[in-house]
Amino acid sequence: MKRGALIPSEAGGGILMGLIIAAMAFLACFALAGSLGASKLANAWTEGLSGAATVRIGAEDGVPEQQIGIVLDILKSTDGVIDAVPLTTGEVAALLEPWFGGAPELADLPAPAIIAVTIDPLNEPDSAIVQAQLDGAAAGAVYDDHGQWRGRAASAAKAVRSVAIGALLVCALAIAAVVILAVRAGLHAQKSNISTLRLAGAEDRYVAGLYQKRYFWLSLFGGLLGCGLALLALFGFNALGTIDRALPALALPQFWWIGFVGVILFVVLLSMFAARLTVLSALRRGAG
Amino acid sequence: MIQFENVGFRYGRGPDVLQSLSFEVPDGAFTFVTGASGAGKSSLLRLLYLDDLPTAGKISLFGRDVASLTRDEIAWFRRRIGVVFQDFRLLDHLTAAENVALPLRVAGARESAYRDNVAEMLQWVGLGEKMNVRPAQLSGGEKQRVAIARAVVASPDIILADEPTGSVDPDMAERIMQLFMEMNRLGKTVVFATHDVDMVGRSGQPCLDLGTGSMSSGVAA
Repeated sequence: MKRGALIPSEAGGGILMGLIIAAMAFLACFALAGSLGASKLANAWTEGLSGAATVRIGAEDGVPEQQIGIVLDILKSTDGVIDAVPLTTGEVAALLEPWFGGAPELADLPAPAIIAVTIDPLNEPDSAIVQAQLDGAAAGAVYDDHGQWRGRAASAAKAVRSVAIGALLVCALAIAAVVILAVRAGLHAQKSNISTLRLAGAEDRYVAGLYQKRYFWLSLFGGLLGCGLALLALFGFNALGTIDRALPALALPQFWWIGFVGVILFVVLLSMFAARLTVLSALRRGAG
Repeated sequence: MIQFENVGFRYGRGPDVLQSLSFEVPDGAFTFVTGASGAGKSSLLRLLYLDDLPTAGKISLFGRDVASLTRDEIAWFRRRIGVVFQDFRLLDHLTAAENVALPLRVAGARESAYRDNVAEMLQWVGLGEKMNVRPAQLSGGEKQRVAIARAVVASPDIILADEPTGSVDPDMAERIMQLFMEMNRLGKTVVFATHDVDMVGRSGQPCLDLGTGSMSSGVAA
């Protein structure tokens, strides 16, 4: 004797419901990928700038060697500074080359003296204190630990993450709403069958379990399909070089796929939970 | 034991369907419920299978006031009550065997444990050859017998039947009646609602007449 499903397959919305969940999972995966990419981008920016600072000494008539020596002494005696090395004229010219080109007259420009400072990322010196010391000893010396840039990068990444989290929440709400609507419609359409089940001794949680099981399979199908398509799309972008070349910092971090597995699990759990609560609530209100 | 004490019932704000009804059905008894259409036979059975609560009075089942039961307890009580509905209430997407197995599945029994039992029940009602047929392919009498098999498959203490012979020919009605008598001989309490007073008379079983609200002692004609 075969064992048929007690709730007809169309009662849960059928394949269409699975496809709607797949669409939501697809969008959720992209939101997650955006969030992960933004995080990696921000990390790349801040990691590249942390541990390094510069001192720029500007002067119309060139910078006296003595002033550079004073600045170096101040820097090397500052707690948190590992090393301080003045850039050569050639190195400064190389830095300016993108703006001025490689013209021979570059060396004649009143280029500032630049000191590359290596700092301990775990014990960064207070830039205000360093600047104060420099002001007292070498006029025109500017200490820059790139804090402003790092702050902007972190803010930008935070904003992108917030948008991504918002998109994930919208996807979650959409999945919950569509499951609730479908379950309500299913309960209404199957009112007679559910009443028969209950009169045969089925507890509310038994009926809820039937719907929960149905939505487990539907959401698993939808989650796998949606995340699978998102995966293919990302690989497609990768293959086209979109991510790695045009937007190199948006490449996904290691173990990013755990996030996709998380999306599938979340979609499945959310759908089951929404279905169960909807059935229990409806039955207590007298449906079926 | 089933006990009604001054039970009244009405749907919503409608007129009273049952008024001050008092009677007792001892364990293992076979009791008919008769009355004209609209007398409240189906409503009385609804109260018995706990689909509704009385609007007045008290109903006791298995020694408990049904008004005090929780939803889970109601489900447990329903597993001790087998019901043959007037409209059969078979699940159209399931086969005859799956419909019969319904109370066992709901009670959490494993398929291997009830497979033989379901087949035996369908044989008992004469539908052994139609185990895998869906209700749409069954006649009214066959559906009725599937519903009877479903009502008794879990060996309930009480069997309620709402006009189970109303839509079948006299021969089939007699056969169905014999099935219920057989269950009663096995110790089941049977409450059988019918408007067929001739059948009631022939059986010699006690009868609750909803027209008068009185219980006859049941003397064989």
